[in-house]
Amino acid sequence: MAQIFPKWTLKVPLYLAAALPVAGAAAVGAVWYYGSPEYTDVGYRPAQPVPYSHALHVGELGLDCRYCHASVEESAVSNVPPTQVCMNCHHVATRESELLEPIRKSAEQGRPMRWVRIHNLPDYAFFDHSVHVGAGVGCRTCHGPVHEMEVVYQAEPLSMSWCLDCHRDPGPNLRPLDAVTDMEWIPTGDHAAFAEQAIAERGLAPPEDCTGCHR
Amino acid sequence: MSAGNGHRPPRTYWRSLEQVQGDSRATEFLHREFPPDASEAPAKLLEDGVSRRSVLAMLGSTASLAGLTGCEIIRRPVEHIVPYVDAPEGMVPGVPLAYATTMPFGNRALGLVMESHDGRPTKVEGNELHPSSGGASSVWAQSSILDLYDPDRSKTVRFGDQASSWNEFVAAWTEGDLAPAADGSGLAVLAEPSSSPTMLRLKSALLERYPQARWVTWQPVSDENVDRGVESAAGDHYHALYHLERARVLLSLDSDLLSTEGDGVRNLRGYAKARRAGENGSQEMLRHYAVDGVHSLTAANADHRLRVQSGRVAAFVARLGHALAAEGMELPLAGGAAAADIDDDWVQAVARDLLDHRGAGLIVAGDRQPAEVHAAVYALNSALGNVGATVTYHQTPDTGTSSDADLAALVAAMNEGAVDRLLVLGANPAYSAPADLDFAAALENTGSSGAVIHVGAYRDETSRFARWHIPLAHYLESWGDARATDGTASVVQPLIEPLWGARSAIEVLALAALGEPRDGRDLVRETWSELLGLPLDDSAEAEAPAPVEEAAEAETGEDGEEAEAPPVDPMSLPFPVALSEFEVAWRRVLHDGVQEGSALPAAELTAVAPEDCAAAVQAAGDAAGAVAAGEELEVVFRSSPALYDGRFANNGWLQELPDPITKLTWDNAALVSPATAGALGLENEDLVTVTCGERELQLPVWQVPGQADHTVTIDLGYGRDFGGRIASTANDEDHTPGANAYLLRTSNAFHFGRCALRASGGSYALAQTQDHHSLEGRPLVQEADLDYFAEHPDFATAHSEKPHENSMWEEWAYDDSPQWGMTIDLNACVGCNACVVACQSENNVPIVGKEQVMEGREMHWLRIDRYFSDEGESAGMLRELVRDLPTEPQTSFQPVPCMQCENAPCEQVCPVAATVHDSEGLNAMVYNRCIGTRYCSNNCPYKVRRFNYFNFTKDTPEVMKLGKNPDVTIRSRGVMEKCTYCVQRISRAKVDARQDGRPLADGDVVTACQQACPADAIRFGDITDAASGVSQAKASPRNYNLLDDLHTKPRTTYLAKLRHPNRDITPAPPPAEDHGEESAGHGEDAH
Repeated sequence: MAQIFPKWTLKVPLYLAAALPVAGAAAVGAVWYYGSPEYTDVGYRPAQPVPYSHALHVGELGLDCRYCHASVEESAVSNVPPTQVCMNCHHVATRESELLEPIRKSAEQGRPMRWVRIHNLPDYAFFDHSVHVGAGVGCRTCHGPVHEMEVVYQAEPLSMSWCLDCHRDPGPNLRPLDAVTDMEWIPTGDHAAFAEQAIAERGLAPPEDCTGCHR
Repeated sequence: MSAGNGHRPPRTYWRSLEQVQGDSRATEFLHREFPPDASEAPAKLLEDGVSRRSVLAMLGSTASLAGLTGCEIIRRPVEHIVPYVDAPEGMVPGVPLAYATTMPFGNRALGLVMESHDGRPTKVEGNELHPSSGGASSVWAQSSILDLYDPDRSKTVRFGDQASSWNEFVAAWTEGDLAPAADGSGLAVLAEPSSSPTMLRLKSALLERYPQARWVTWQPVSDENVDRGVESAAGDHYHALYHLERARVLLSLDSDLLSTEGDGVRNLRGYAKARRAGENGSQEMLRHYAVDGVHSLTAANADHRLRVQSGRVAAFVARLGHALAAEGMELPLAGGAAAADIDDDWVQAVARDLLDHRGAGLIVAGDRQPAEVHAAVYALNSALGNVGATVTYHQTPDTGTSSDADLAALVAAMNEGAVDRLLVLGANPAYSAPADLDFAAALENTGSSGAVIHVGAYRDETSRFARWHIPLAHYLESWGDARATDGTASVVQPLIEPLWGARSAIEVLALAALGEPRDGRDLVRETWSELLGLPLDDSAEAEAPAPVEEAAEAETGEDGEEAEAPPVDPMSLPFPVALSEFEVAWRRVLHDGVQEGSALPAAELTAVAPEDCAAAVQAAGDAAGAVAAGEELEVVFRSSPALYDGRFANNGWLQELPDPITKLTWDNAALVSPATAGALGLENEDLVTVTCGERELQLPVWQVPGQADHTVTIDLGYGRDFGGRIASTANDEDHTPGANAYLLRTSNAFHFGRCALRASGGSYALAQTQDHHSLEGRPLVQEADLDYFAEHPDFATAHSEKPHENSMWEEWAYDDSPQWGMTIDLNACVGCNACVVACQSENNVPIVGKEQVMEGREMHWLRIDRYFSDEGESAGMLRELVRDLPTEPQTSFQPVPCMQCENAPCEQVCPVAATVHDSEGLNAMVYNRCIGTRYCSNNCPYKVRRFNYFNFTKDTPEVMKLGKNPDVTIRSRGVMEKCTYCVQRISRAKVDARQDGRPLADGDVVTACQQACPADAIRFGDITDAASGVSQAKASPRNYNLLDDLHTKPRTTYLAKLRHPNRDITPAPPPAEDHGEESAGHGEDAH
């Protein structure tokens, strides 16, 4: 009578013993990589109701960030501009553009635009734009090269460890206060010395406590 | 261990009768924080189970999500950002604004500053400039924000059963047949008392237009008796304003002046100030005597109490008159007034104290007492020189005093058919009118021949009979005005458009009085044009209301260089506008919240002559003659400390707010003293039938130590049939919270009367919190008499067991500055609960419902422990429990938030580091890390952690989400939470200071509880700054740590309570050296 289990099955436990740790490590690695905001969030690029191009407005025309995002220096939230801000220019410029139809309609009918949120923190994390801008952290540090973006996408993971990297060592991300919104600013000279001086002058002590961001 | 001459008599503290008697349920709560099945789902949920369909639905959605993850980055749910089309001036998204407004309350007012987040009012705070508030607020003011967003409010104008509109109502009034006869005959208006100048103006206009119209002012709980008494004694209509801060002796007669009666917030403020005088051992501290039957919050704080039936307070006044005469006061009284239930020595001692403090004493009688008592009290105050000193009288104009007689006359007219148009403005008489009047029948009668127009916030008991129902706007969404007791005028400024198109009372009244619909704001501005004496300039249309502080910030908006400019006057506008004189003054009033200098001077009153005083006292005695002292039961109707007269019945925060004394939630009960319950053979939760005449009411019994014997107290305001989902149905469909005491309340026994009580068999479970989160009878409340304190300033810490200084763990180094700390002054705290609701509002604390409260799952981050104590031997920690029930307990209150221990036991047991320390000394709770083991709560010696057994916020109606604080995380199921020292306020203060380029100063961070506290009992700040208020408080010798021996090093500490007994009543304890040794030596024995 033939054996029910052929002879090679004797080696199955051995193969399993060899494969399981690898599979386990792969599973952990997969969750580690695919589950992280780096993978799940960076590159999020939803379609917006109006294909507003930051590359055109900021990169080519040179608008300052704060023309539209006016509350960034005094509020925790950096506002998305009211329709009226768009119309400040567009009641003259490119009045006929079909792409601007939703904006004109919004202004006429008094119905607000519904933009899709890209940079989104969990509800239990509280970020304050005003303190970061006031400390001299550039817009680009968190939002990436917005002046090159035809469609805005999320450039950084905005994960807790990413936040903490900077809170533990803010120096590399500090700028002169007048260069915060400068998209093309690059450090000149001895940045380490500048950063040290900036930290002292601005009295920076980024919190590393839970209560810094979680309430 | 200090040995002094005197000794502090040993005291035993307990929280509930169950604990004293060793009831098994209380013991259960002592030993297990949560009862055995506390982690089970409610039976109802288990019964329903999870259906097969819902499981399949869940599986299906999981599968479809799995299929989507392959392609581009998808985020679910997609969130939107919805900016303004045209942003309003001065508003920065994300930066809250503060507006001054006023909460009208009867013919009084409380000035408030409202916090508004992006157009949504979220938090009530007191207005420092307003005389009634002084920066503090009450339970009702704090919780009014929840009423604004109540989804059960009436949402449309109704004509009969059909939805209608305001325009149709206006048309019916102006063109249809709704308007009354030209001379107003048949027209009646039933309104609650109001001090609104606009209301008063419109009332006059109405009565001028319709001379035959009848105006009835009525409210179920009012100060009618006070007004009538003072009027008969002083000769005119006056409002009393108490200056308790100037008083040294207070005698309260059945009065709850610190909580539900009169200017509660203002009175409490003065009271705490006067009690604090003893802080440094000064003998000038206010001494408080209370004579009453009800164990009210005010009575609970007295140094001496005399328990008599409410109906016998008049007899006490007569007895006091004789005692004063006997002590040498000129008071020609005839005859004696001895009474069996009134202790002669006690009265004599009080009389002596009052005479010793002429001009610094004060007698206050409660709203329930008859007018004769108030007349006598006025006369005695006047004769003692207190009028003008500790109490002043002001002729503040209002729309009239509540009048029970007018209401009865109105009902008679309605029954005769003499009323064909009845306009009910805000009141709910079908629910709250005296039962014998049968207001519902009268309404039906009027409704059949004429028309009832009901203006109310809810479709309630009265609106069922109304032809027209008009939703009444909340004070936070309508224009109005009001006067405080001293006459200070202020504007009710809306924070938001009416959520459901409701109309304010003045808008409805204007239609009736002026014959045309008018805008509320215009009406108020017209009135204020008169008040300010400036002509109204209609051409200058005003902009949005002026925010209190942020206008200056809005100024420095767009470009940075303006920030360098000198501080801007908050009243100025960012662009030059020529404003009329009225406009400038009006904006100033809106900004400040009060009209400066509008307080009326105190009336110049001549002292009452001794003969008149004697006559008044005699009259009070005669009034008491009708009520003999005896064994016959008395029923007392009292306004609920939570629901007031029932108007707040649909407010979940208030329904779940533990009563200060009984700690009951969600229900009222027949409150009786333990002796009375014993005599009747009743136990807690036994159902009884209370009978007054022919009327009966069934409700459960609850024993309250310290209540007068032979008295049954029932809170009004419960048992609503038509009040909204919370008021009428609570948790299960067939249970209405509480019993409707109005069904027993008749015209001739409106405040108290005779009743009978019999057990009706069965019992009814009540949800009370006094055994929850108990601390096992350890010496937690420290208190001493003032004279003992003078000799032993360190009494609070002298006998505590000193902890060993070495910790098991490496202790955190607190090197940075600031380091946050808090003190709670038990000598100032009276237990009013304002902090509890303020905390709930600020921190998005959910309500859990009666069923969950019974499981010990209430979520209040800040609880107020109430201890009864009496003098007696204590076996150190927990006295042998089963003993005779005490009748004359003293009451102590102790608010307990998280202690923010430096050496926190909770942190050491959390397996996932969800609770950790920060460098400023906060014990932080990180919700997103918490996995719900509850080890931390188990290890917390103070029992201040709260666990989300369910997702209590899951079913929050959309409109209520508007009122949540956006700066605080909404917690979900399975997460532990607790007091954070309002870390969001700390963050905001730090950001603000950084923006202004200045260091954080003392007073920049004010926690929600501290802000609300009328007694100023809570201090918060940086303990490394020796000059800060909290550091100074901690330097007091009365400062002590709760459970010091555990070496938790709490950041929240307490200042011990002081009492100021009259040594003629309570003799000083003899200097018993051996005694002191014995009780002090106990700690050593224990080792």
